[in-house]
Amino acid sequence: MMSHDLQWYYPEKISEALKLIKKDGIILHAGGTRILKTEARHLKGLVDISRLKLNYIRKEGKNIIIGSGSTFTDVINYCRKTNSLSGLCMALSEAASTPLRNRMTIGGSLKDFPVWSSLYSPLIALNAQVELVGVKEAYSVEDYVRKNIIKTKHIISQIVIKDEKDVICHVRRFNIVRFEYPIFNLAVALKVKNNIVVDARVVITGVTGRFHRFKSSEKALIGNALTDDIITKSSEYFTPKFHSDYKYSPEYREHVAKVYYNDIVNELKKEMK
Amino acid sequence: MRQVFKINSKEKELQLNPGDTLLKALRDNGFTEVKCGCSEGECGACLVLLEDMPVNSCQVFALSVKDKEIKTVKGIGTLHYPHMLQKAFVDAGADQCGFCTPGMVIASYALLRKNPNPSKQEITEALDGNLCRCTGYVKIVQAVENAAKELSDSAKL
Repeated sequence: MMSHDLQWYYPEKISEALKLIKKDGIILHAGGTRILKTEARHLKGLVDISRLKLNYIRKEGKNIIIGSGSTFTDVINYCRKTNSLSGLCMALSEAASTPLRNRMTIGGSLKDFPVWSSLYSPLIALNAQVELVGVKEAYSVEDYVRKNIIKTKHIISQIVIKDEKDVICHVRRFNIVRFEYPIFNLAVALKVKNNIVVDARVVITGVTGRFHRFKSSEKALIGNALTDDIITKSSEYFTPKFHSDYKYSPEYREHVAKVYYNDIVNELKKEMK
Repeated sequence: MRQVFKINSKEKELQLNPGDTLLKALRDNGFTEVKCGCSEGECGACLVLLEDMPVNSCQVFALSVKDKEIKTVKGIGTLHYPHMLQKAFVDAGADQCGFCTPGMVIASYALLRKNPNPSKQEITEALDGNLCRCTGYVKIVQAVENAAKELSDSAKL
């Protein structure tokens, strides 16, 4: 239930919006889906960003720039049309449902790392940068969370992702029922040259500490072709630690995550061929 | 407070609170064809078209869409003048208790406008945000297929 005194603001400049959100109880509104689920009761004001013109996706040189006001549907349509960022497209297509994806925005889903976000694992795996207004201008998405920038008062203006044709990325989410929030999201991105992995990023969300990168698994893959031995070796280092809850034990989640990890790396191996 | 919205191609002044969802604002002002199911964005009974895109009106703040074109199921067709898609739902027996039907029609309408000749898979994907507890979905998918077939002949959408 929302307060009847809730104040709405419709700024036309980012600087005005930033000034407003520095006040207590006033936050940004993009699609609104996260606010309705998490913050409704305590709010004094909402700053609607629809007039800030943050809804854009474009290619600039080797980068794809995604405005924070773009919806999941906007990004999915762009990726399908341009045949780019297949891992991100895959993750977003599996998130929520068609009508919700028409409302959920990239910026809203990055802010505060909501439990249902399917964005983080592919963005970290693709080494995406997040550009901000209100604090230092840009961070990797990984540092944005790790350095707790996420908790500061700022506005996400855009996401920048390198569009590299030699990078392949697959994602997998674990949930029993489609509408259930994902228990974890796993993404593996490989940069491949002449069938050799030259860079790798393995990221899982839904674990203790919000997300984890498996640098030992990545190391085991880098410099090698994806043979069965190499996949097995990298899988040995893939040991995610999960919280315990009434639904699934941490051991069960770890087991499923390991199965998914092997599946993804084998899918990528096929794609390399 | 009072606020003017554009609903079904007409300007309507609604009485609402600043924190109201679009679903609440619509229903409180007589647009009861928009159904309240789960209020969580999961069942799709409350779907409306916002600038031709289906959205869960229970997950949208009314005042965030005051400048946008809103269409409810009555904006597509009415009881006495149903749209071909609505007729297809009735003919296929896809409307048992009828509670999910407005949302199903909205989602199908949005699909057919974008893709007049959808495959079964595309219909299923477009209806991924709509739950029905009566029909088992078979008749609903059939209704959309039938409507697509008829509409492709008459180009009436």
